Amino acid sequence: MTSTFTPVPPGSGAGAPPAPPAVVATEVAKVYGSGDAAVHALRGVSVSFAKGAFTAIMGPSGSGKSTLMHCLAGLDTVTSGRVTLGEVEITGLGDRRLTLLRRERVGFVFQAFNLVPTLTAEQNILLPLELAGKKPDRDWFDQVVEVVGLRDRLSHRPAELSGGQQQRVACARALVSRPEVIFADEPTGNLDSRSGAEVLGFLRSSVREMGRTIVMVTHDPVAASYADRVVFLRDGRIVSELARPTPDAVLDQLKALGG
Amino acid sequence: MLKVSLAGVRAHRLRLMLTGLAIMLGVGFIAGTFVLTDTMQAGIDKKFAGSASKVDVAVLPKKGKVDVLPEEGPGGDRVPADLLTKIRALPGVTAVHGLVRGEAPLIGKDGKVYGDSPTRGLSVTDGPLQRYDIVAGKAPVAPDEAVLDERTAKRNGFKVGAVIRVLDAKGAEHRFTLTGLADFGVDSEVGFYGGVGFTPATAVRMTGERDPVEIDVLGGDQAALRDAVAAVAGARYDVLTSRALGDRLADAAGADTKIIRTGLLIFGVVSMLVSALVIYNTFAILIAQRMREMALLRCVGATRRQVFGGVLLESAVVGLAGSLAGLALGVVLAAGLLALVGGMNAEIPTDRLTLTPTAVAVGLTVGIVVTVLSALLPARAATRIAPVAALRSELEPGGGRFRLGWPRRILTVLFGVLGVGLALLGSLSMDKGETAMFVVAAGGALLFLAVIALMPALVRPLGGAAGALPARLTGVPGRLAVANARRTPRRTATTTIALTIGVGLMSLFAVVAASGQATVVANLEEQFPVDFQLHTQFSSAQTDPELPPALAAGLRARSELTGVVEMRRQEARVGGDEVEVGTATPAAFGRLLKPPVRSGSLADLKTGTVAVNETIAKHQGLAVGDTLRIGTGRGQVPLKVVAVFGGETSLSSYVVPESDFTRYFGAKGPWTIYVNVRPGTDPERALRAVEQVAQPYPTVKATSATAVKEQFTSAFDTMLMIFGGLLGLAVIIALFGIANTLSLSVVERTRESALLRALGITRGQLRLMLSVEAVIMAIIGALTGVVLGVAFGWAATESMADSSVFALPYGQIVGLMALAGLAGLLAAVLPARRAARTSVVESLSHG
Ligand SMILES: Nc1ncnc2c1ncn2[C@@H]1O[C@H](COP(=O)(O)OP(=O)(O)OP(=O)(O)O)[C@@H](O)[C@H]1O
Ligand SMILES: [Mg+2]
Repeated sequence: MTSTFTPVPPGSGAGAPPAPPAVVATEVAKVYGSGDAAVHALRGVSVSFAKGAFTAIMGPSGSGKSTLMHCLAGLDTVTSGRVTLGEVEITGLGDRRLTLLRRERVGFVFQAFNLVPTLTAEQNILLPLELAGKKPDRDWFDQVVEVVGLRDRLSHRPAELSGGQQQRVACARALVSRPEVIFADEPTGNLDSRSGAEVLGFLRSSVREMGRTIVMVTHDPVAASYADRVVFLRDGRIVSELARPTPDAVLDQLKALGG
Repeated sequence: MLKVSLAGVRAHRLRLMLTGLAIMLGVGFIAGTFVLTDTMQAGIDKKFAGSASKVDVAVLPKKGKVDVLPEEGPGGDRVPADLLTKIRALPGVTAVHGLVRGEAPLIGKDGKVYGDSPTRGLSVTDGPLQRYDIVAGKAPVAPDEAVLDERTAKRNGFKVGAVIRVLDAKGAEHRFTLTGLADFGVDSEVGFYGGVGFTPATAVRMTGERDPVEIDVLGGDQAALRDAVAAVAGARYDVLTSRALGDRLADAAGADTKIIRTGLLIFGVVSMLVSALVIYNTFAILIAQRMREMALLRCVGATRRQVFGGVLLESAVVGLAGSLAGLALGVVLAAGLLALVGGMNAEIPTDRLTLTPTAVAVGLTVGIVVTVLSALLPARAATRIAPVAALRSELEPGGGRFRLGWPRRILTVLFGVLGVGLALLGSLSMDKGETAMFVVAAGGALLFLAVIALMPALVRPLGGAAGALPARLTGVPGRLAVANARRTPRRTATTTIALTIGVGLMSLFAVVAASGQATVVANLEEQFPVDFQLHTQFSSAQTDPELPPALAAGLRARSELTGVVEMRRQEARVGGDEVEVGTATPAAFGRLLKPPVRSGSLADLKTGTVAVNETIAKHQGLAVGDTLRIGTGRGQVPLKVVAVFGGETSLSSYVVPESDFTRYFGAKGPWTIYVNVRPGTDPERALRAVEQVAQPYPTVKATSATAVKEQFTSAFDTMLMIFGGLLGLAVIIALFGIANTLSLSVVERTRESALLRALGITRGQLRLMLSVEAVIMAIIGALTGVVLGVAFGWAATESMADSSVFALPYGQIVGLMALAGLAGLLAAVLPARRAARTSVVESLSHG
């Protein structure tokens, strides 16, 4: 199945998408703690992520990547500024509304511990749909499972799957509910290069072929090169951007940031 | 290592606190028992010392002849009256009082003798030897004056100055003016039946007891007086100085305190057992969670012994803290209970709480030893952790699988077969009685061990069954809860077993009580299908009280009543033995009285014949057709045996026809009369008719079958409530266990919870998930307990007596399960809040 996902050479992707942005952050600031102990994780970030685009967020450790992602996904509250997901402004929403919104519109792939250990792969994949009380679209489910290549692993529990397989299950889960945006925080951080390539190729094809929107945090220039665009963060600010990145271009940019 | 242990306690203080609470409750119960009984005993000692100090020397029957108080029965436990005269004549004696004690039935407000047993008649002097406190009015001085104990006076509405009626030993009525109210001291008999105090001479006349139960003497030097009195009293009597008298009285009353203590301590042991399970589980989980920490310790050079010692030290610290808190709780509990008891019963003086060194030592020792013992296995598990475990990536605790190993299988089969075998042996094939009950109890203990061994394997199926409904109702949270309850089978098993103990014992008692009640009712209905029974008070002085002969005729004359049956009986000699010969109204045989006839026929009971109880027949080797000789007022009479009967019956061992009975023993009143309501008559009217007929006879009491049933029912209910209350503590501790396991699991699953939250589980659903998990655990535990309790309740009932009837208290059992479920919900409140509160982001990044 890897043949389906051989990396497409950078720059040969679809043209700039004309659709309205899926996620917009306006002057988002995030401060942890207060007084002397205050940590300014984000200092006024304004960025928008187009529908049907695959964006990578990069930057040195502690630059605020995860924080930004959490704020965009409605997992964390912002100190100031606004975040809009689709047409909904999520800043100021209560916990319950946010939870329901996440359930319906957002998909996640984390670096590790993506799956509920007591559930089988299939149950994990269907979890968000079940939570939302929706009937899974069987054809779509089969298609996704086929694409991630997990057909014969569906009844296994996470403990019986390899790291790469677990990440692919997480990807499948993020896709099955057809969320507006998928957020991925270092999804390949724990994987060897081959498994990483599988996951990344899969994410990209889901953008190309299924029209998903993906925002991915990564430290790996090769991983970032799968994206349509790279946003660079430093000290809680967006410092630069790169469209149609190549690994080398990304590396140069990182060096320039003094990371 | 000490530092590491203490740091461990500090770091996990919240988790350990719940463990500490379990110990605290157990130790608190035990310490509270000690404080309560010690305080009561101290009060009793003080009261008796005060009462005895009024006496210089006292003469009592020799100790050991009597085990309770020195007044039961006639003869050997009294002091002869002529000794009183001899002592009075001794030089130096200034005052002498012979304490009279006997039965003096008081006639209550309703014109009937008061109580089920006659009130006690006591002598009260107005001299310096007056031992009782007169709390209102004054002591009686004239022959027509009397005092009553406060409670009896209050129950009957008698005020000082009122005229009361008391029957003398021959049943003649006497009138007295109530001059005051007395406190007759800590005296269980007077406490139960009430007491009437007269002047000494009147007391002798009323009770018919010439010989006092004790002689009190005043007169100069105690030692010299004692020797002088002892010289005239002789070796058959104890002559005690006031101090020795106080000790002896307190000892006698202290027996009750000891019984209370032992009874309560049994429940304390059950609570500690449950605590031990909770502690064991907590430490086992903590060790599992700190696997890395332990391995790291091993990596940096800690030996196995050090790791082992470290864990034990940690448990000892927790045990000490919990026990200390338990002691404090015990004092508070005892104080509260005493305040409650003090309000109801002023007879037991309890001025100051007594915390003896024994209580402190026992509480602390039990608490610490139980904690450390419970931590032994987890500590051993900690030493098994290999140093490399520190390097391995994190393990998710609990694979959800549990394979029943061979040792467990063998134990389960062995104990299970033995337990069930013993239970069946005791309940079905052994002779009914104490031995059979012990065999059943042993079977119960063994089967419980088998269940403990098997429980981890039962968690999966039981969890699935218990969770089926919640999973359907609540969807994803419910299904996750079922999976969670089943993922760590050992942990869930231990948690639920703790609840099984309390619930099992509760349902066992519920079944035994319900069966006991059903047995009593069935026996009553089968043996006495009567609506009313007329009888006299139960008296120990009059061994064979008779009802007035005219009573039966009066009852037969009433149109509201029917089936009047007179039961008569008489002591007689058959061979060399004193036996009871009885008879009943002829029409009753085969109708009201139908004992199971083993051979012959009761229809053959004609002149010159006798029917014999099967036990006696077996013992004497009698069979139908044999002839026996019975001693009567007209000499030896030969009787032919025509029937052998069995069963639980009110018939005497030897039953002769009524006409023969009168011929042999003369006209004699019945000891009891059975009466039925005529069909179609209002029971209330019938009751009034019975009361009217009995009205002229103050000693005759009428009891209705319904009232007896109600009495038994309420007695059983009270018993059940007390046991339930005492076992409630064990259940509460088990709930702490559930809460503890759950909060430890919540900590363990922080990241998982965060993931679920990120994926769209609401806070409410997360809380629901944990609640369902707790309820599943509670239901597993309660269900196992109920099954075991009901099974062994049945076995115990069967083993008790032939006539036992098994009854299942559905309502109580269902209530118990519902309560367990509810309690599970309660146990989940705190852990669920904690789980719902944790921040998604933090847990995801730092988990
Ligand atoms: N809960 C918190 N409390 C206080 N400070 C925090 C908290 N979470 C993050 N920070 C701080 O905010 C800053 C940004 O953190 P963030 O996790 O977003 O970095 P990152 O870019 O994802 O780093 P990495 O590449 O190492 O994952 C850091 O300085 C971090 O110390
Ligand atoms: Mg990060």
